[in-house]
Amino acid sequence: MSLKPTIGMETHVELDTESKMFCSCKVVETDEPNISLCPTCLGLPGALPVPNKKAIEYIVMLSLGANCSITKEGMFHRKNYFYPDLPKNYQISQFDFPVGFEGSLEIVIEDSLHTVAIERVHMEEDTGKSIHLGSGRIDSATSTLLDFNRSGVPLVEVVTKPIISSAKMAVAYIEELRQLVIDLGISKGKLEKGNLRFDANISVAEEGSDELGVKVEIKNMNSLKSLEKAIDYEILRQTKMVQDKESIIQETRHWDENKQVTLSMRTKEGSADYRYFSDPDLPNMVINDEFIEISQNQIKETPEKKRKTLLDTGLSLSDSNYLDKGQRWLYELYLSTVKETGDCKSTFNFLTGELQGQMRKAEISELPQWLNSEKLASLINLFENNEVSFTSAKDILAKLLIEDIDPKSFASDNNLIQSSDNDEIKALVTSIIHENQDIVERLENPEDKLVGFLVGQVMKSSESKVNPKSVKEVLLKELFG
Amino acid sequence: MTKDFNIDDISNLASIHLEENEKLKLQKDLEIVLEHVDALKNIDVKDEKIDIHPLSKILELREDESTPSLSHEDAMKNSPETKDGHFVVPPSIE
Ligand SMILES: [Zn+2]
Repeated sequence: MSLKPTIGMETHVELDTESKMFCSCKVVETDEPNISLCPTCLGLPGALPVPNKKAIEYIVMLSLGANCSITKEGMFHRKNYFYPDLPKNYQISQFDFPVGFEGSLEIVIEDSLHTVAIERVHMEEDTGKSIHLGSGRIDSATSTLLDFNRSGVPLVEVVTKPIISSAKMAVAYIEELRQLVIDLGISKGKLEKGNLRFDANISVAEEGSDELGVKVEIKNMNSLKSLEKAIDYEILRQTKMVQDKESIIQETRHWDENKQVTLSMRTKEGSADYRYFSDPDLPNMVINDEFIEISQNQIKETPEKKRKTLLDTGLSLSDSNYLDKGQRWLYELYLSTVKETGDCKSTFNFLTGELQGQMRKAEISELPQWLNSEKLASLINLFENNEVSFTSAKDILAKLLIEDIDPKSFASDNNLIQSSDNDEIKALVTSIIHENQDIVERLENPEDKLVGFLVGQVMKSSESKVNPKSVKEVLLKELFG
Repeated sequence: MTKDFNIDDISNLASIHLEENEKLKLQKDLEIVLEHVDALKNIDVKDEKIDIHPLSKILELREDESTPSLSHEDAMKNSPETKDGHFVVPPSIE
Protein backbone atom coordinates (compact mmCIF):
# COMPACT_ATOMS: atom_id res chain seq x y z
CA MET A 1 0.00 0.00 0.00
CA SER A 2 1.40 3.37 -1.02
CA LEU A 3 0.45 6.35 1.15
CA LYS A 4 0.49 10.02 0.26
CA PRO A 5 0.60 12.89 2.76
CA THR A 6 -1.66 15.94 2.55
CA ILE A 7 -0.79 19.15 4.37
CA GLY A 8 -2.69 22.37 4.96
CA MET A 9 -0.99 25.40 6.52
CA GLU A 10 -2.44 27.96 8.90
CA THR A 11 -0.21 31.00 9.27
CA HIS A 12 -0.62 33.96 11.61
CA VAL A 13 0.92 37.21 10.43
CA GLU A 14 1.42 40.04 12.92
CA LEU A 15 0.78 43.34 11.13
CA ASP A 16 3.21 46.22 11.52
CA THR A 17 0.88 49.00 12.63
CA GLU A 18 1.35 51.91 15.02
CA SER A 19 -1.64 51.01 17.19
CA LYS A 20 -3.53 47.85 18.14
CA MET A 21 -6.45 46.34 16.20
CA PHE A 22 -9.43 47.48 18.28
CA CYS A 23 -7.96 50.16 20.55
CA SER A 24 -5.41 52.99 20.28
CA CYS A 25 -2.76 51.41 22.49
CA LYS A 26 0.68 51.55 20.88
CA VAL A 27 2.09 48.30 19.50
CA VAL A 28 5.32 47.89 21.48
CA GLU A 29 8.34 45.64 21.16
CA THR A 30 9.68 45.45 24.68
CA ASP A 31 10.45 43.05 27.50
CA GLU A 32 8.83 45.42 29.98
CA PRO A 33 5.47 43.73 30.69
CA ASN A 34 2.01 45.31 30.74
CA ILE A 35 2.89 48.85 29.73
CA SER A 36 0.60 49.33 26.70
CA LEU A 37 -2.86 48.49 27.95
CA CYS A 38 -6.32 50.04 28.08
CA PRO A 39 -9.76 48.78 29.16
CA THR A 40 -10.43 47.40 25.64
CA CYS A 41 -7.34 45.20 25.28
CA LEU A 42 -7.62 44.18 28.94
CA GLY A 43 -11.18 43.01 28.35
CA LEU A 44 -12.65 45.21 31.07
CA PRO A 45 -16.46 45.42 31.18
CA GLY A 46 -18.03 48.13 29.05
CA ALA A 47 -15.06 48.73 26.76
CA LEU A 48 -15.89 48.89 23.05
CA PRO A 49 -13.69 47.87 20.12
CA VAL A 50 -13.10 50.23 17.16
CA PRO A 51 -11.17 48.67 14.26
CA ASN A 52 -7.93 50.08 12.88
CA LYS A 53 -8.33 51.27 9.28
CA LYS A 54 -4.68 50.67 8.40
CA ALA A 55 -4.96 47.02 9.52
CA ILE A 56 -7.97 46.56 7.25
CA GLU A 57 -6.03 48.14 4.35
CA TYR A 58 -3.15 45.78 5.09
CA ILE A 59 -5.30 42.66 5.10
CA VAL A 60 -6.91 43.75 1.82
CA MET A 61 -3.40 44.25 0.36
CA LEU A 62 -2.39 40.78 1.55
CA SER A 63 -5.56 39.24 0.15
CA LEU A 64 -4.98 40.92 -3.22
CA GLY A 65 -1.30 39.93 -3.14
CA ALA A 66 -2.42 36.32 -2.61
CA ASN A 67 -4.84 36.67 -5.55
CA CYS A 68 -7.95 36.36 -3.36
CA SER A 69 -11.47 37.65 -3.91
CA ILE A 70 -12.55 40.25 -1.35
CA THR A 71 -15.68 39.99 0.81
CA LYS A 72 -17.37 43.34 0.25
CA GLU A 73 -19.77 43.03 3.15
CA GLY A 74 -18.21 41.11 6.01
CA MET A 75 -18.27 40.98 9.76
CA PHE A 76 -16.44 40.01 12.91
CA HIS A 77 -17.23 36.99 15.08
CA ARG A 78 -16.43 36.08 18.64
CA LYS A 79 -14.44 32.89 19.07
CA ASN A 80 -15.13 31.79 22.63
CA TYR A 81 -12.69 29.91 24.80
CA PHE A 82 -11.21 30.18 28.25
CA TYR A 83 -7.52 30.70 28.30
CA PRO A 84 -5.80 33.24 30.56
CA ASP A 85 -3.87 34.97 27.75
CA LEU A 86 -7.23 36.03 26.32
CA PRO A 87 -8.69 38.45 28.88
CA LYS A 88 -12.17 38.75 27.30
CA ASN A 89 -12.59 34.95 27.17
CA TYR A 90 -13.21 35.37 23.48
CA GLN A 91 -11.09 36.43 20.57
CA ILE A 92 -12.48 38.79 17.96
CA SER A 93 -12.00 36.91 14.71
CA GLN A 94 -13.85 36.16 11.48
CA PHE A 95 -15.80 33.03 10.72
CA ASP A 96 -17.87 32.65 7.57
CA PHE A 97 -17.07 36.00 5.97
CA PRO A 98 -13.26 36.29 5.87
CA VAL A 99 -11.84 39.42 4.18
CA GLY A 100 -10.11 37.36 1.46
CA PHE A 101 -11.08 33.99 -0.01
CA GLU A 102 -10.22 31.62 -2.86
CA GLY A 103 -6.73 32.81 -3.78
CA SER A 104 -3.42 31.27 -4.75
CA LEU A 105 0.30 31.79 -4.30
CA GLU A 106 2.97 30.82 -6.78
CA ILE A 107 5.88 29.09 -5.05
CA VAL A 108 9.30 27.84 -6.18
CA ILE A 109 10.78 24.47 -5.24
CA GLU A 110 14.32 24.20 -6.59
CA ASP A 111 13.84 24.78 -10.33
CA SER A 112 10.10 24.37 -10.69
CA LEU A 113 7.00 26.50 -10.14
CA HIS A 114 4.03 25.26 -8.12
CA THR A 115 0.76 26.80 -7.00
CA VAL A 116 -0.68 26.68 -3.49
CA ALA A 117 -4.43 27.38 -3.28
CA ILE A 118 -5.40 29.76 -0.47
CA GLU A 119 -8.73 29.09 1.21
CA ARG A 120 -9.12 32.22 3.33
CA VAL A 121 -7.41 35.30 4.74
CA HIS A 122 -9.09 36.63 7.86
CA MET A 123 -8.61 39.38 10.44
CA GLU A 124 -8.28 38.79 14.17
CA GLU A 125 -6.46 40.02 17.26
CA ASP A 126 -3.39 38.59 18.94
CA THR A 127 -3.40 37.22 22.51
CA GLY A 128 -1.15 38.10 25.43
CA LYS A 129 1.97 36.15 26.31
CA SER A 130 2.12 33.63 29.16
CA ILE A 131 5.12 32.42 31.10
CA HIS A 132 4.63 29.15 32.99
CA LEU A 133 6.45 29.02 36.30
CA GLY A 134 7.45 25.75 37.89
CA SER A 135 9.84 22.90 37.31
CA GLY A 136 10.18 23.79 33.64
CA ARG A 137 7.67 21.25 32.34
CA ILE A 138 4.51 22.82 31.02
CA ASP A 139 2.26 20.30 32.81
CA SER A 140 3.88 20.82 36.21
CA ALA A 141 3.72 24.62 36.32
CA THR A 142 2.90 26.16 39.68
CA SER A 143 1.55 29.44 38.31
CA THR A 144 1.29 31.40 35.08
CA LEU A 145 2.51 34.97 34.52
CA LEU A 146 0.71 37.14 31.99
CA ASP A 147 1.88 40.05 29.85
CA PHE A 148 -0.90 41.65 27.79
CA ASN A 149 1.22 44.05 25.69
CA ARG A 150 0.59 41.81 22.65
CA SER A 151 -3.11 41.43 23.45
CA GLY A 152 -5.07 43.08 20.63
CA VAL A 153 -2.21 43.46 18.14
CA PRO A 154 -3.64 43.05 14.60
CA LEU A 155 -3.20 39.51 13.37
CA VAL A 156 -4.06 38.02 9.98
CA GLU A 157 -4.58 34.31 9.53
CA VAL A 158 -3.85 32.83 6.11
CA VAL A 159 -5.20 29.32 5.54
CA THR A 160 -4.29 27.12 2.56
CA LYS A 161 -6.38 24.37 1.12
CA PRO A 162 -5.11 20.88 2.02
CA ILE A 163 -2.99 20.49 -1.11
CA ILE A 164 0.60 20.72 0.08
CA SER A 165 2.30 17.39 -0.51
CA SER A 166 5.67 17.57 1.25
CA ALA A 167 7.65 19.32 3.98
CA LYS A 168 9.78 21.04 1.31
CA MET A 169 6.66 22.43 -0.36
CA ALA A 170 5.37 23.73 3.00
CA VAL A 171 8.70 25.50 3.59
CA ALA A 172 8.67 27.03 0.10
CA TYR A 173 5.11 28.25 0.74
CA ILE A 174 6.04 29.93 4.04
CA GLU A 175 9.09 31.53 2.37
CA GLU A 176 6.85 32.97 -0.36
CA LEU A 177 4.21 34.21 2.12
CA ARG A 178 6.91 35.76 4.31
CA GLN A 179 8.43 37.58 1.32
CA LEU A 180 4.96 38.76 0.28
CA VAL A 181 4.24 40.44 3.63
CA ILE A 182 7.73 42.00 3.62
CA ASP A 183 7.43 43.28 0.03
CA LEU A 184 3.96 44.65 0.76
CA GLY A 185 5.42 46.41 3.81
CA ILE A 186 2.65 45.16 6.09
CA SER A 187 4.67 43.06 8.54
CA LYS A 188 8.27 42.81 9.65
CA GLY A 189 8.04 39.12 8.76
CA LYS A 190 10.62 38.03 11.33
CA LEU A 191 10.11 34.40 12.30
CA GLU A 192 12.40 34.65 15.33
CA LYS A 193 10.26 37.53 16.67
CA GLY A 194 7.03 35.61 16.13
CA ASN A 195 5.78 38.00 13.42
CA LEU A 196 4.96 34.86 11.44
CA ARG A 197 3.69 31.75 13.28
CA PHE A 198 2.49 28.61 11.58
CA ASP A 199 0.58 25.40 12.30
CA ALA A 200 0.37 22.42 9.95
CA ASN A 201 -2.58 20.08 9.44
CA ILE A 202 -1.28 16.74 8.30
CA SER A 203 -2.98 13.54 7.19
CA VAL A 204 -2.00 10.50 5.14
CA ALA A 205 -4.24 8.55 2.77
CA GLU A 206 -3.88 5.84 0.20
CA GLU A 207 -2.45 7.01 -3.10
CA GLY A 208 -5.25 7.63 -5.58
CA SER A 209 -7.93 7.87 -2.89
CA ASP A 210 -10.27 10.87 -3.05
CA GLU A 211 -10.73 10.93 0.70
CA LEU A 212 -8.29 12.52 3.11
CA GLY A 213 -7.09 10.65 6.19
CA VAL A 214 -7.65 11.75 9.80
CA LYS A 215 -6.15 15.21 10.29
CA VAL A 216 -3.60 15.98 12.99
CA GLU A 217 -2.66 19.57 13.81
CA ILE A 218 0.98 20.32 14.63
CA LYS A 219 1.83 23.42 16.64
CA ASN A 220 4.89 25.09 18.11
CA MET A 221 7.27 25.15 15.16
CA ASN A 222 9.39 28.29 15.49
CA SER A 223 11.60 28.08 12.43
CA LEU A 224 11.51 26.78 8.87
CA LYS A 225 13.90 24.07 9.95
CA SER A 226 11.59 22.83 12.71
CA LEU A 227 8.62 23.09 10.32
CA GLU A 228 10.37 20.79 7.86
CA LYS A 229 11.45 18.33 10.55
CA ALA A 230 8.06 18.28 12.29
CA ILE A 231 6.19 17.56 9.05
CA ASP A 232 8.61 14.82 8.03
CA TYR A 233 8.36 13.28 11.49
CA GLU A 234 4.56 13.40 11.54
CA ILE A 235 4.22 11.90 8.04
CA LEU A 236 6.46 9.03 9.14
CA ARG A 237 4.55 8.52 12.40
CA GLN A 238 1.16 8.42 10.66
CA THR A 239 2.40 6.23 7.81
CA LYS A 240 3.73 3.70 10.29
CA MET A 241 0.45 3.74 12.23
CA VAL A 242 -1.60 3.11 9.08
CA GLN A 243 0.74 0.31 8.02
CA ASP A 244 0.42 -1.24 11.48
CA LYS A 245 -3.37 -0.97 11.17
CA GLU A 246 -3.59 1.42 14.13
CA SER A 247 -6.16 4.19 13.92
CA ILE A 248 -5.01 7.80 13.95
CA ILE A 249 -6.93 10.10 16.29
CA GLN A 250 -7.84 13.64 15.39
CA GLU A 251 -5.81 15.76 17.81
CA THR A 252 -3.40 18.62 18.28
CA ARG A 253 0.24 17.72 18.71
CA HIS A 254 3.10 19.86 19.86
CA TRP A 255 6.55 19.82 18.18
CA ASP A 256 9.18 19.17 20.85
CA GLU A 257 12.35 20.85 19.62
CA ASN A 258 14.60 19.06 22.12
CA LYS A 259 13.27 15.56 21.57
CA GLN A 260 12.59 16.17 17.83
CA VAL A 261 9.20 14.47 18.04
CA THR A 262 5.55 15.53 18.02
CA LEU A 263 3.69 14.97 21.30
CA SER A 264 -0.05 14.85 21.96
CA MET A 265 -1.52 17.93 23.66
CA ARG A 266 -4.80 16.16 24.48
CA THR A 267 -7.07 18.99 23.34
CA LYS A 268 -9.75 18.34 20.82
CA GLU A 269 -11.84 21.46 20.46
CA GLY A 270 -13.87 21.42 17.30
CA SER A 271 -15.26 24.47 15.54
CA ALA A 272 -18.62 24.03 17.36
CA ASP A 273 -16.90 24.22 20.75
CA TYR A 274 -15.78 27.78 19.99
CA ARG A 275 -19.45 28.83 19.72
CA TYR A 276 -18.73 31.44 17.08
CA PHE A 277 -21.34 34.18 16.90
CA SER A 278 -21.33 37.61 15.27
CA ASP A 279 -19.84 40.25 17.56
CA PRO A 280 -22.68 42.58 18.60
CA ASP A 281 -20.12 45.33 19.34
CA LEU A 282 -19.03 45.47 15.71
CA PRO A 283 -21.52 46.23 12.93
CA ASN A 284 -21.05 44.94 9.37
CA MET A 285 -17.78 45.88 7.74
CA VAL A 286 -18.17 47.20 4.21
CA ILE A 287 -15.12 47.05 1.99
CA ASN A 288 -16.17 48.96 -1.10
CA ASP A 289 -14.44 49.30 -4.49
CA GLU A 290 -12.87 52.59 -3.50
CA PHE A 291 -11.32 51.04 -0.39
CA ILE A 292 -10.03 48.11 -2.45
CA GLU A 293 -8.52 50.51 -5.00
CA ILE A 294 -6.74 52.52 -2.29
CA SER A 295 -5.30 49.29 -0.93
CA GLN A 296 -4.37 48.03 -4.40
CA ASN A 297 -2.51 51.29 -5.12
CA GLN A 298 -0.32 50.73 -2.08
CA ILE A 299 1.01 47.48 -3.54
CA LYS A 300 4.36 48.45 -5.03
CA GLU A 301 6.02 45.06 -5.18
CA THR A 302 5.30 41.36 -4.74
CA PRO A 303 7.74 38.44 -4.82
CA GLU A 304 5.95 37.11 -7.91
CA LYS A 305 6.49 40.40 -9.78
CA LYS A 306 10.14 40.60 -8.68
CA ARG A 307 10.71 37.03 -9.80
CA LYS A 308 9.30 37.82 -13.25
CA THR A 309 11.62 40.84 -13.53
CA LEU A 310 14.58 38.62 -12.61
CA LEU A 311 13.56 35.86 -15.04
CA ASP A 312 13.37 38.49 -17.79
CA THR A 313 17.09 39.19 -17.36
CA GLY A 314 17.75 35.58 -18.36
CA LEU A 315 18.39 34.08 -14.92
CA SER A 316 17.23 30.55 -14.07
CA LEU A 317 14.18 30.09 -11.84
CA SER A 318 16.19 29.01 -8.80
CA ASP A 319 18.68 31.90 -9.15
CA SER A 320 15.76 34.33 -9.59
CA ASN A 321 14.09 32.91 -6.50
CA TYR A 322 17.32 33.24 -4.53
CA LEU A 323 17.56 36.97 -5.27
CA ASP A 324 13.80 37.39 -4.80
CA LYS A 325 14.01 36.07 -1.24
CA GLY A 326 17.29 37.78 -0.37
CA GLN A 327 18.09 41.26 0.80
CA ARG A 328 16.52 44.14 -1.05
CA TRP A 329 19.80 45.94 -1.89
CA LEU A 330 21.23 42.82 -3.55
CA TYR A 331 18.13 42.47 -5.72
CA GLU A 332 18.39 46.11 -6.82
CA LEU A 333 22.16 45.96 -7.31
CA TYR A 334 21.81 42.87 -9.49
CA LEU A 335 19.20 44.53 -11.71
CA SER A 336 21.22 47.69 -12.26
CA THR A 337 24.49 45.79 -12.77
CA VAL A 338 23.12 43.26 -15.24
CA LYS A 339 21.75 46.15 -17.29
CA GLU A 340 25.34 47.22 -17.90
CA THR A 341 27.07 43.85 -18.25
CA GLY A 342 24.30 42.14 -20.22
CA ASP A 343 25.53 38.87 -18.73
CA CYS A 344 23.06 37.52 -16.15
CA LYS A 345 24.92 34.42 -15.01
CA SER A 346 28.33 36.01 -14.45
CA THR A 347 26.73 39.02 -12.75
CA PHE A 348 24.68 36.73 -10.48
CA ASN A 349 27.71 34.58 -9.67
CA PHE A 350 29.97 37.54 -8.95
CA LEU A 351 27.46 39.36 -6.72
CA THR A 352 26.15 36.36 -4.78
CA GLY A 353 29.50 34.55 -4.64
CA GLU A 354 32.41 36.97 -4.56
CA LEU A 355 30.78 40.18 -3.37
CA GLN A 356 28.59 38.65 -0.65
CA GLY A 357 31.43 36.34 0.39
CA GLN A 358 33.95 39.16 0.77
CA MET A 359 31.40 41.33 2.60
CA ARG A 360 30.68 38.52 5.02
CA LYS A 361 34.37 37.91 5.63
CA ALA A 362 35.09 41.60 6.18
CA GLU A 363 31.90 41.92 8.23
CA ILE A 364 30.54 44.69 6.03
CA SER A 365 26.74 44.75 6.11
CA GLU A 366 26.23 47.71 3.81
CA LEU A 367 27.82 48.50 0.44
CA PRO A 368 30.17 51.49 0.51
CA GLN A 369 28.57 54.49 -1.17
CA TRP A 370 31.01 54.54 -4.09
CA LEU A 371 30.58 50.86 -4.91
CA ASN A 372 27.82 51.28 -7.47
CA SER A 373 26.59 49.09 -10.30
CA GLU A 374 28.77 50.96 -12.82
CA LYS A 375 31.99 50.02 -11.02
CA LEU A 376 30.86 46.44 -10.46
CA ALA A 377 29.86 46.08 -14.11
CA SER A 378 33.22 47.44 -15.23
CA LEU A 379 34.98 44.93 -12.97
CA ILE A 380 32.83 42.01 -14.16
CA ASN A 381 33.50 42.99 -17.77
CA LEU A 382 37.25 43.09 -17.12
CA PHE A 383 37.47 39.43 -16.18
CA GLU A 384 34.68 38.26 -18.49
CA ASN A 385 36.67 39.74 -21.42
CA ASN A 386 39.80 38.09 -20.04
CA GLU A 387 41.48 41.43 -19.51
CA VAL A 388 42.25 40.49 -15.91
CA SER A 389 42.42 37.06 -14.26
CA PHE A 390 39.70 36.04 -11.79
CA THR A 391 42.28 36.25 -9.01
CA SER A 392 43.02 39.86 -9.96
CA ALA A 393 39.27 40.61 -10.11
CA LYS A 394 38.93 39.36 -6.55
CA ASP A 395 41.83 41.58 -5.44
CA ILE A 396 40.31 44.60 -7.19
CA LEU A 397 36.97 43.95 -5.47
CA ALA A 398 38.65 43.73 -2.07
CA LYS A 399 40.26 47.12 -2.78
CA LEU A 400 36.90 48.53 -3.96
CA LEU A 401 35.27 47.58 -0.68
CA ILE A 402 37.63 49.86 1.23
CA GLU A 403 38.54 52.55 -1.29
CA ASP A 404 36.94 54.45 -4.13
CA ILE A 405 38.94 53.29 -7.17
CA ASP A 406 38.20 52.88 -10.85
CA PRO A 407 38.60 49.13 -11.55
CA LYS A 408 40.02 49.60 -15.05
CA SER A 409 42.63 52.24 -14.20
CA PHE A 410 43.54 50.37 -11.03
CA ALA A 411 44.15 47.22 -13.11
CA SER A 412 46.40 48.98 -15.58
CA ASP A 413 48.23 51.03 -12.94
CA ASN A 414 49.01 47.83 -11.06
CA ASN A 415 50.01 45.83 -14.09
CA LEU A 416 47.06 43.44 -13.81
CA ILE A 417 45.92 43.64 -17.42
CA GLN A 418 46.54 40.38 -19.23
CA SER A 419 48.03 40.65 -22.67
CA SER A 420 46.11 39.30 -25.62
CA ASP A 421 48.93 40.40 -27.92
CA ASN A 422 49.34 37.41 -30.22
CA ASP A 423 52.97 38.04 -31.14
CA GLU A 424 53.99 38.13 -27.49
CA ILE A 425 52.02 34.99 -26.73
CA LYS A 426 53.37 33.22 -29.79
CA ALA A 427 56.94 33.90 -28.68
CA LEU A 428 56.23 32.51 -25.20
CA VAL A 429 54.43 29.44 -26.62
CA THR A 430 57.27 28.68 -29.01
CA SER A 431 59.85 28.74 -26.28
CA ILE A 432 57.74 26.51 -23.97
CA ILE A 433 57.21 23.98 -26.77
CA HIS A 434 60.95 24.02 -27.35
CA GLU A 435 61.72 23.46 -23.66
CA ASN A 436 59.20 20.60 -23.31
CA GLN A 437 59.87 18.43 -26.35
CA ASP A 438 59.42 15.20 -24.36
CA ILE A 439 55.88 16.20 -23.38
CA VAL A 440 54.97 17.48 -26.83
CA GLU A 441 55.89 14.06 -28.28
CA ARG A 442 53.49 12.31 -25.89
CA LEU A 443 50.51 14.52 -26.86
CA GLU A 444 47.80 12.56 -28.67
CA ASN A 445 44.96 15.04 -29.21
CA PRO A 446 43.84 18.60 -28.31
CA GLU A 447 41.86 17.25 -25.31
CA ASP A 448 44.98 15.74 -23.74
CA LYS A 449 45.46 16.77 -20.14
CA LEU A 450 49.05 17.67 -20.91
CA VAL A 451 47.79 20.65 -22.96
CA GLY A 452 46.67 22.18 -19.69
CA PHE A 453 50.11 21.60 -18.24
CA LEU A 454 51.72 23.43 -21.17
CA VAL A 455 49.26 26.35 -20.86
CA GLY A 456 50.24 26.53 -17.21
CA GLN A 457 53.92 26.67 -18.12
CA VAL A 458 53.30 29.56 -20.53
CA MET A 459 51.28 31.43 -17.88
CA LYS A 460 54.06 30.89 -15.39
CA SER A 461 56.75 32.18 -17.73
CA SER A 462 54.64 35.28 -18.42
CA GLU A 463 54.01 35.79 -14.70
CA SER A 464 50.28 35.49 -15.43
CA LYS A 465 50.32 38.61 -17.55
CA VAL A 466 48.80 36.92 -20.58
CA ASN A 467 45.30 35.74 -21.17
CA PRO A 468 45.05 31.94 -20.66
CA LYS A 469 42.33 31.52 -23.25
CA SER A 470 44.47 33.13 -25.97
CA VAL A 471 47.44 31.04 -24.85
CA LYS A 472 45.48 27.83 -25.32
CA GLU A 473 44.29 28.90 -28.76
CA VAL A 474 47.80 29.75 -29.94
CA LEU A 475 49.25 26.60 -28.39
CA LEU A 476 46.72 24.29 -30.05
CA LYS A 477 47.29 25.99 -33.38
CA GLU A 478 51.04 25.49 -33.09
CA LEU A 479 50.72 21.84 -32.07
CA PHE A 480 47.81 20.54 -34.12
CA GLY A 481 47.52 23.17 -36.84
CA MET B 1 -35.39 17.89 16.89
CA THR B 2 -31.91 18.53 18.24
CA LYS B 3 -31.93 17.33 21.82
CA ASP B 4 -28.67 15.57 21.37
CA PHE B 5 -26.35 17.48 23.66
CA ASN B 6 -24.42 16.75 26.82
CA ILE B 7 -24.98 19.16 29.67
CA ASP B 8 -21.55 18.31 31.10
CA ASP B 9 -19.87 19.41 27.83
CA ILE B 10 -21.80 22.66 27.92
CA SER B 11 -20.90 23.47 31.53
CA ASN B 12 -17.32 22.52 30.79
CA LEU B 13 -17.08 24.91 27.82
CA ALA B 14 -18.61 27.70 29.87
CA SER B 15 -16.36 26.91 32.85
CA ILE B 16 -19.40 26.80 35.14
CA HIS B 17 -19.79 24.22 37.89
CA LEU B 18 -23.30 22.73 38.09
CA GLU B 19 -24.90 20.60 40.82
CA GLU B 20 -26.92 17.56 39.74
CA ASN B 21 -30.29 19.26 40.33
CA GLU B 22 -29.11 22.32 38.37
CA LYS B 23 -28.03 20.10 35.51
CA LEU B 24 -31.50 18.53 35.31
CA LYS B 25 -33.20 21.93 35.32
CA LEU B 26 -30.85 23.39 32.70
CA GLN B 27 -31.15 20.30 30.54
CA LYS B 28 -34.89 20.93 30.34
CA ASP B 29 -34.49 24.67 29.76
CA LEU B 30 -32.00 24.17 26.97
CA GLU B 31 -34.24 21.59 25.33
CA ILE B 32 -37.00 24.19 25.22
CA VAL B 33 -34.59 26.72 23.68
CA LEU B 34 -33.63 24.20 21.03
CA GLU B 35 -37.29 23.54 20.28
CA HIS B 36 -37.75 27.25 19.61
CA VAL B 37 -34.74 27.20 17.30
CA ASP B 38 -36.14 24.19 15.48
CA ALA B 39 -39.39 26.05 14.98
CA LEU B 40 -37.42 28.82 13.24
CA LYS B 41 -36.01 26.27 10.84
CA ASN B 42 -39.49 25.71 9.40
CA ILE B 43 -39.81 29.29 8.20
CA ASP B 44 -39.42 29.56 4.45
CA VAL B 45 -36.62 32.12 3.81
CA LYS B 46 -35.82 31.02 0.25
CA ASP B 47 -36.58 34.42 -1.23
CA GLU B 48 -35.13 36.53 1.58
CA LYS B 49 -31.85 38.43 1.33
CA ILE B 50 -29.28 37.21 3.85
CA ASP B 51 -28.95 39.68 6.69
CA ILE B 52 -25.68 38.86 8.35
CA HIS B 53 -25.81 41.24 11.28
CA PRO B 54 -28.66 42.43 13.48
CA LEU B 55 -27.53 46.06 13.17
CA SER B 56 -27.93 47.91 9.90
CA LYS B 57 -25.28 50.43 10.90
CA ILE B 58 -21.98 50.22 9.00
CA LEU B 59 -18.75 49.75 10.90
CA GLU B 60 -16.70 52.88 11.47
CA LEU B 61 -12.93 52.55 11.24
CA ARG B 62 -10.40 54.68 13.09
CA GLU B 63 -7.04 56.03 11.86
CA ASP B 64 -3.94 54.12 12.94
CA GLU B 65 -2.80 56.51 15.64
CA SER B 66 -1.74 55.57 19.14
CA THR B 67 -2.82 57.44 22.24
CA PRO B 68 -1.48 57.12 25.78
CA SER B 69 -2.78 54.02 27.57
CA LEU B 70 -3.38 53.23 31.21
CA SER B 71 -0.34 53.60 33.42
CA HIS B 72 1.24 50.29 34.38
CA GLU B 73 0.10 50.80 37.99
CA ASP B 74 -3.51 51.49 36.98
CA ALA B 75 -3.55 48.52 34.62
CA MET B 76 -2.42 46.18 37.40
CA LYS B 77 -4.59 47.70 40.14
CA ASN B 78 -7.44 45.17 40.09
CA SER B 79 -5.18 42.14 40.05
CA PRO B 80 -5.18 40.06 43.28
CA GLU B 81 -1.63 38.90 42.57
CA THR B 82 1.27 40.32 40.56
CA LYS B 83 4.92 39.39 40.09
CA ASP B 84 7.67 41.30 38.24
CA GLY B 85 5.11 43.44 36.46
CA HIS B 86 3.02 40.43 35.38
CA PHE B 87 -0.47 39.30 36.30
CA VAL B 88 -0.32 35.99 38.19
CA VAL B 89 -2.98 33.34 37.53
CA PRO B 90 -3.31 29.67 38.48
CA PRO B 91 -1.24 27.36 36.26
CA SER B 92 -2.79 26.90 32.86
CA ILE B 93 -1.98 23.91 30.70
CA GLU B 94 -2.49 24.06 26.97
ZN1 LIG C 1 -5.69 48.89 24.44
